[in-house]
Amino acid sequence: MLFGRKKKNPVKIADKKVVEWKYTTCGYCSTGCSIQVGLNKEGEAVSSRGAAGADVNRGKLCVKGIFEHELFKSSGRGDMPLVRNKIFEGYEETDWDSALDQMAFEITRIQKTWGRDSFAIVSTGQLLTEEFYTLGKLSRAVIGTNNYDGNTTLCMASAVSGYKRSFGSDGPPGCYDDFEHTECLIAWGSNLPEQHPIIYWRIQEAQEKRKFPLIVIDPRVTMLAQKADMHLAIKPGTDVVLLNALCHVILEEGLEDRSYIEAHTNGYEQFEKLVSQYDPTTAAEITGIDEDTIRNVARLYAKADSAMSIWTMGINQSTHGSDGVVGINNLSLVTGNIGKQGGTSLSITGQCNAMGTREWSSCSGLPGYRALENPEHRQEIADYWGIDPEFFPKKRGLTETDIFPAIETGQIKGLWLVATNPMTSMPNTARIRKTLEKLDFLVVQDSYADVETTQYAHMYLPAATWAEKEGVFTNTERRVNVVRQVVKPHGHSKSDLWIFNNVAKRFEQGHRVKFPDQPEQVFDEMRHLSKGRLVDISGMSHDKIEQQKGIQWPYTEAMDKGETDDSTADGKGDQRLYTDGHFSYADGKAKLIPLPFIDNNEKPENDYPFWLNTGRVVEHFHSRTKTGKIGNNNKYSPMPYMEMNPDAASDLGLVHGDYVRCVSKRGDAIVMVQLTQRVPHDMVFIPFHFHDCVNRLTLGLLDPHSRQPAFKQSAVRIEAVEDQHEAAQLCLESREF
Amino acid sequence: MFQIRDEERPYAFLADKDNKSHNRYGKAIKLIDENSELYGRSLNINGDPKVSDNPNRYKQHGFHFTADNCIGCHACEAACSEKNDNPAHIAFRSVGYVEGGSYPSYQRINISMACNHCDDPVCLKGCPTRAYTKFAEYGAVLQDPDICFGCGYCTWVCPYNAPQLDPIKGQVSKCNMCVDRLEEGLKPACVSACLGNALNFGVIENIPENREQAKTDIPGLPRTDITHPNIRFQQTRSTHREMTRTDSMPIKYHRNDKTGRFDSTIDDKHGKKREWNWSKLSSRENPLVLFTLITQAVVGAFLLFFMGPSIGLDALQGITGSAIFIPLLGFMLLIETIGLVMSTMHLGKPHRFYRAFNNLKSSPVSREVAGVALFFNSLLGYAFFSLFTGSDYSHITNILMQICGYAALITGPIALYFMHKIYRIQARPFWNHWQVLTAFYGSMLSMGGLLLGITVIPWMAWQGMDFLPLLSTLSVVMFAGLLIEVTGHICHKHDMWKLLKQGHGEGAAAQFEQETKFGKTWWLRNSLLLINILLLALLSAGLFSSTTALIVWGGIALSMLLSAVIGRALFYVLVIPTTMPGAFFWKNRAFQEHARETGLAHREQCGVVYENH
Repeated sequence: MLFGRKKKNPVKIADKKVVEWKYTTCGYCSTGCSIQVGLNKEGEAVSSRGAAGADVNRGKLCVKGIFEHELFKSSGRGDMPLVRNKIFEGYEETDWDSALDQMAFEITRIQKTWGRDSFAIVSTGQLLTEEFYTLGKLSRAVIGTNNYDGNTTLCMASAVSGYKRSFGSDGPPGCYDDFEHTECLIAWGSNLPEQHPIIYWRIQEAQEKRKFPLIVIDPRVTMLAQKADMHLAIKPGTDVVLLNALCHVILEEGLEDRSYIEAHTNGYEQFEKLVSQYDPTTAAEITGIDEDTIRNVARLYAKADSAMSIWTMGINQSTHGSDGVVGINNLSLVTGNIGKQGGTSLSITGQCNAMGTREWSSCSGLPGYRALENPEHRQEIADYWGIDPEFFPKKRGLTETDIFPAIETGQIKGLWLVATNPMTSMPNTARIRKTLEKLDFLVVQDSYADVETTQYAHMYLPAATWAEKEGVFTNTERRVNVVRQVVKPHGHSKSDLWIFNNVAKRFEQGHRVKFPDQPEQVFDEMRHLSKGRLVDISGMSHDKIEQQKGIQWPYTEAMDKGETDDSTADGKGDQRLYTDGHFSYADGKAKLIPLPFIDNNEKPENDYPFWLNTGRVVEHFHSRTKTGKIGNNNKYSPMPYMEMNPDAASDLGLVHGDYVRCVSKRGDAIVMVQLTQRVPHDMVFIPFHFHDCVNRLTLGLLDPHSRQPAFKQSAVRIEAVEDQHEAAQLCLESREF
Repeated sequence: MFQIRDEERPYAFLADKDNKSHNRYGKAIKLIDENSELYGRSLNINGDPKVSDNPNRYKQHGFHFTADNCIGCHACEAACSEKNDNPAHIAFRSVGYVEGGSYPSYQRINISMACNHCDDPVCLKGCPTRAYTKFAEYGAVLQDPDICFGCGYCTWVCPYNAPQLDPIKGQVSKCNMCVDRLEEGLKPACVSACLGNALNFGVIENIPENREQAKTDIPGLPRTDITHPNIRFQQTRSTHREMTRTDSMPIKYHRNDKTGRFDSTIDDKHGKKREWNWSKLSSRENPLVLFTLITQAVVGAFLLFFMGPSIGLDALQGITGSAIFIPLLGFMLLIETIGLVMSTMHLGKPHRFYRAFNNLKSSPVSREVAGVALFFNSLLGYAFFSLFTGSDYSHITNILMQICGYAALITGPIALYFMHKIYRIQARPFWNHWQVLTAFYGSMLSMGGLLLGITVIPWMAWQGMDFLPLLSTLSVVMFAGLLIEVTGHICHKHDMWKLLKQGHGEGAAAQFEQETKFGKTWWLRNSLLLINILLLALLSAGLFSSTTALIVWGGIALSMLLSAVIGRALFYVLVIPTTMPGAFFWKNRAFQEHARETGLAHREQCGVVYENH
């Protein structure tokens, strides 16, 4: 019976009966994948697939993107605005008008009583760029608080700060196409297979066409480290020393690109003086990487015709985050690897629209990479928005990580959280809980009513999510891509743009400033303001973006009209910045900045003998409000776990799969232990996605430049738990999804 | 028909240039030729009559997996589940891993595995309902959930965990090779989604572009000689000598330098401590524990009173004519009915029970069911006609009764033989031993004697009859039964350890769990067996007075029931299949049990469901 039945039934294969595929852009990470969402006859989103023609993902999607259509109907979504007077009371449903009236009243009351800056706004990297721009306008031109920031301070602030310090402006100069050309790639604290699987695939594709050395610097043996030709298992927080040492070898052996340095950089003398102190022997002691390896890598990188560095949170989330970025830029500059094919310094961003917020949200300045500190910029924007430039502060206010301490000590009384969940994402969450309790008024605007921060809110505003709205995202390689509305917002939720516009209407100044209703009209304002800036998007429109499946900025009107004859004629924008060696500083030169290393991290010691490292897993996104409800994502890690070295565990009598207690100087957490040699004897690793887990432990010392917390360097001890049953119940109770 | 995406990329299209004529096992890759009646037919996918012009349509296809490249990103699993609309707890494709070395020389090898559309599909052969078909098209082994009645036997026999039993729906489903995509010239969804460029697909034995190997083994892969799976591997990076599993299976893999392959061996993850673990004795197969024991007891009891006298067991002479005989038959029918109902309700779709006979040609399940059904009906006939003994029609009914009796005499032991065949599964080495046969036939005697004894002897005692001869005779039979069973156990244990030396550790690992995780329970069972054997020997020798003998025998009855249930439960829970390694949460039995115990499994998005639907 080789073939089984003679009379065969029809073969049945699941058919989702898709009648229409709608183009949109993924709302998870910053890779910027083009997605098509399949709708059935009833208009329900039933399927997701990669857009095969898109240059970024070329038809591929990761495990999150593949199930992204399930977001629309996932549990926990907010339906109606909710209000309460006191945080110990229960919420009551209300209508939008009453909610927004009350919100405007509270903001006005707080600002009148304690000053304009006593009301703070913390947003996100999740909104559409038009929404960021509108929120920026609302915050800067209408509400007028200077304590306005995004949660990008937790992920990309160091990259922004480092780019600004080195090149005079934010803006990643490279692109994914560089993988196709590079002759050496160093990945600094970046685990692409887990964090950015599609970018990993692009590297894999490039490697299969043409093999080039891949060097990974990471204290864990991540999947990428395993794939690397060389894995440098660095001691946490010492990247700056390694970077200095690499430059030391390059300068000492005369491998630098002398003509590039002379033509395009400033500050060489002080830089050289500083790196001369970081010989490989000294660096080896600090970084744990032997001096031969340091020399080897330095030579390889410097001798390659083109070499590039990419990095993610391993660099950014550190007390030397900004310095780490500057260090990578230094390395690129001394080897002449900026703005050339395969030679770049490319930060791999976190959130889908971290770039959009950096460019247009006015969090750290004014739209289009303008600075509050620059009077001309203030004037330009004030004129365009139709307000008095004196309404703007002349200096940037507090970052997210400084806003919370200001709440703690009473300077800030009211807070508006937009699509961010500090109860899970901020370091030392016990302190965040205490802090949030002190607020007179906390409004949480989120797609999910069960986002943990609502425990401390006075008002909850249900927002539409992802492709329930329309607008653009910018990805890690400066590619602007469009999110088309695929389905209507869930229940009575509203797009963030609608919410911002309707909050604006409730302020006197909000009537003076124009707040267009349609995303495309907002985009037109941005286009106008981008003219002549580094982030020039004046040649783009939503339709053109969809047609090209993403356009990289700068894309000027001239480029759109075909008035330029260079590589940008394909209508997909400019792949690289600074190709002419002209940087954003006034004199057009980049800076080589000396980076002295001050070791201020909390390090393992007697009572707390383990490094606590944190990071991401591929199946989850951020604080799991999205992926925690999608079974085919969540099932791969439905509860928190901790990677621990089996030898260290056996010393403590811990068993694989048992619950253990982690204790730091901040608090404790119960977590299930997974024994693996992936981590060293003195380190544990816990994914950060889970509520009431690793961030109960982290210290999050701040980077002096970027104010980004060092999530990845804390010290803990691990204790066995006697009552496993109770630990299991506690673990279950700690999070509802 | 499946719609090709706009601007589809080359990676998604099948790219076989030329093919070999035969696979490495000597089988023709071209499954049928133009003259076959199966040629040129439509697959009728969802009723679509289209016939694809894929030039390789009748060649055996298979997956190619470059283990060096897999990054464990779950994209293949996700693409599969998205396409097939599978809930979280069902996965046609799963990624597990093995790991080795010590920091920083650590290595993790991920293995993505779905159905291998084997040359010799044991699922197809084992399925009692004939839900499986190996198609001439692509050599795809497809299963029709609408035919399946959810017995789960295919999930037992498959060495690769390919068929998925859904406790919610009560049926099995599995990888369909994305034949709808193949018909359009596209590779399966999982392959098209792969982000490590690890998964590939094409005509079997073809090595994809940029790849150089087509091996049939990588560490962690079950043996391939059972089914000749259509999967090939590339794994060129050197591996550590020992690769371990993160899931709870007490198995790891050790490189055999002579063969260059990885042998499975025991990993004493949880130490060698001896424990009871009573609660873990209970499993989804509880109904089968009782059904097998009851059926063996009923067959045994019948054989004893029907055949006993004619083989010299005189003490059994009087039973058939006695007043207890009708109640005895009634009781036997009652418990066998209960057993049958339990085993039917154990099916995912009990109302489809009649499909059990569909595959007498190759499925031991069909044969067992047929055997038990024939035995049961023969017994029923025997009992029915026995009601007419002494009546006016007895000259006819006695003959009919005898016919039924002989029918039961023949079908009973045959049914038990096929019952044992069910467990002779190559992918389950702990079961695949003649010990199953001795255990089942041993139980037939011991439990049969017990069943007769507990029914007849109390009645005889009550009637003031001399029951000692019967008691001694039954004791001899039970003694023999237990002795047969014990012999099997001893050899089984020995052979499991012997298999370990041959590089197949699953059986030994199960035995290891028996001696550690269930060590105390196991020893209790063993002690009871020994005590029972000893006491039965004494009873057989007639050393006791009536009252003492009755009391001792009663004690034995209880302890035999206990040891039989423990032993059979152990048999079901211990078996370790030669399946794929799991991950820390996903496909990890310990985590699944934990999720059910703690209540996490109530959250459907955790990917674990309760087994009792």
